[in-house]
Amino acid sequence: MSTKWNITLVVYRQKGGAAPYYDEFKMEVNPDEYVLDAVERVWAFHDRSLCFAHACHHSTCGACGMRVNGVEKLTCITLIREVTSDGGTMKVEPLRNFPVISDLSVDMGSLFTRMDQIGHRSVLPVSEEPAGEKSPVLPQAQEEEYTRLSDCIECGMCISACPVATTTADYLGPAVLAGAYQHGVNGDMSLISMVDNADGVWRCHHAFECNEVCPSFVDPGTKIMDLRKAVIRERFRGLFGSR
Amino acid sequence: MIETKSSPKPNEGMWLWLIKMVSGLLIILFLLIHFIINHMTGSAGGGQLSFREILQMYTSPAYILLEALFLVTVISHGLIGLRAVILDLNPARKVMKVIDPVLLILGIGSVIYGIWLLYAVASLAA
Amino acid sequence: MSVDTNKPTSSNWWKWFDFRARDVGTWAFILNRLSALGLVLYLFLHLIALGQLVQGPQAWENFLNFAKNPIIMIGELLVIIGGIYHGLNGIRIGFATFGRSTPQQKQAFYAVIVVTIIASAVFAYRLFT
Repeated sequence: MSTKWNITLVVYRQKGGAAPYYDEFKMEVNPDEYVLDAVERVWAFHDRSLCFAHACHHSTCGACGMRVNGVEKLTCITLIREVTSDGGTMKVEPLRNFPVISDLSVDMGSLFTRMDQIGHRSVLPVSEEPAGEKSPVLPQAQEEEYTRLSDCIECGMCISACPVATTTADYLGPAVLAGAYQHGVNGDMSLISMVDNADGVWRCHHAFECNEVCPSFVDPGTKIMDLRKAVIRERFRGLFGSR
Repeated sequence: MIETKSSPKPNEGMWLWLIKMVSGLLIILFLLIHFIINHMTGSAGGGQLSFREILQMYTSPAYILLEALFLVTVISHGLIGLRAVILDLNPARKVMKVIDPVLLILGIGSVIYGIWLLYAVASLAA
Repeated sequence: MSVDTNKPTSSNWWKWFDFRARDVGTWAFILNRLSALGLVLYLFLHLIALGQLVQGPQAWENFLNFAKNPIIMIGELLVIIGGIYHGLNGIRIGFATFGRSTPQQKQAFYAVIVVTIIASAVFAYRLFT
């Protein structure tokens, strides 16, 4: 027999240019289901006009990022029991710092464009982005042959959580800077110029919220720090003429 | 090339940031010395120094040099930091064209004022 | 197609200081920014106040007495607390940038807070007794 919890789902709604408001839905849920399941059930049985983004339902596509009780979560892998309790409330809102298209769905075009511009690779050799303890151990000799999907699934949650991204859309943001680091800046002066300016790698104020909310082990904050070191190294090398 | 409004010059952020880091580190050192000398040895109570005690310290050129260096590092670190907070508000490029010289003048002016003050008080001591 | 609400804008500046649903790193950022702004203000006040030295010993005595006002002394204590926190957090940020960032940066923040509280207590005692 599966447990049933009675919860109140509070959903952010916004259509067109109208003022946002919240809808409440009292629901019976299995706490071992995911937040996305609850949202989908609202759409299926209560309100067909609810708009939200979702695709793979297994943390690969990065579409279903939302704020649950104020914290960025990938809703397809967030258990209901993690975010509320029997008789409790679950508040679902769109990601911050992206313009709202409708209800829970936001426009992440700026993120995708920038990821392209800095050359983030979504498929790359295992040797360049080792999966660490998360994957089975590969025989050393064969590592060159294996490719894998990049850790970053471009879900935008890091940008939603970043305090700097709240006040300026020009800041490249954690995902883009981590993507630039993944691409590698060695000797790539045009990529270095893209990240080495006040709206790039120097805009970060080390709140490390990006690391906290990343669902995919990217640790963008750490990568921004590494990118800084790489940029400094490249700039000093340029200064002392070894290129 | 990614278009950014407020700071199109590459390589500008790095030097200011490095100065902020280095000056920050130096401030910790200078501040420790400045605070101990100026606020932990006074007779006037509550860490305050009397006029005579202050003039006494100004007879030492090492002290004057220390205070001057401390002033330069603190002004640099503080105003670069203030600029960073302003940049977070994403001002238009033409706004920064005004703010940058204002901060520069404020900084240089403060250092000039401070050095003048050091000499003025030192000459009182002489 | 998309609306303007939820977009990054400078009028969101108060959200820098919104610590709800946020983690330790945000608290560090908030305290760092608040102490930074307070210290910059204090810096200029301090420089102006020191101008009293060239007005002679009497002017200086007047200023010292003015500074014994409890409100001023509380302000000075806040400057000391802010300065200690800002310096220690700055060291933490230096380590985070040039060394290992996570997860040690969280423990380092707790250490910074503990030292700040202890040092603040010491200076509060010295100032007010």
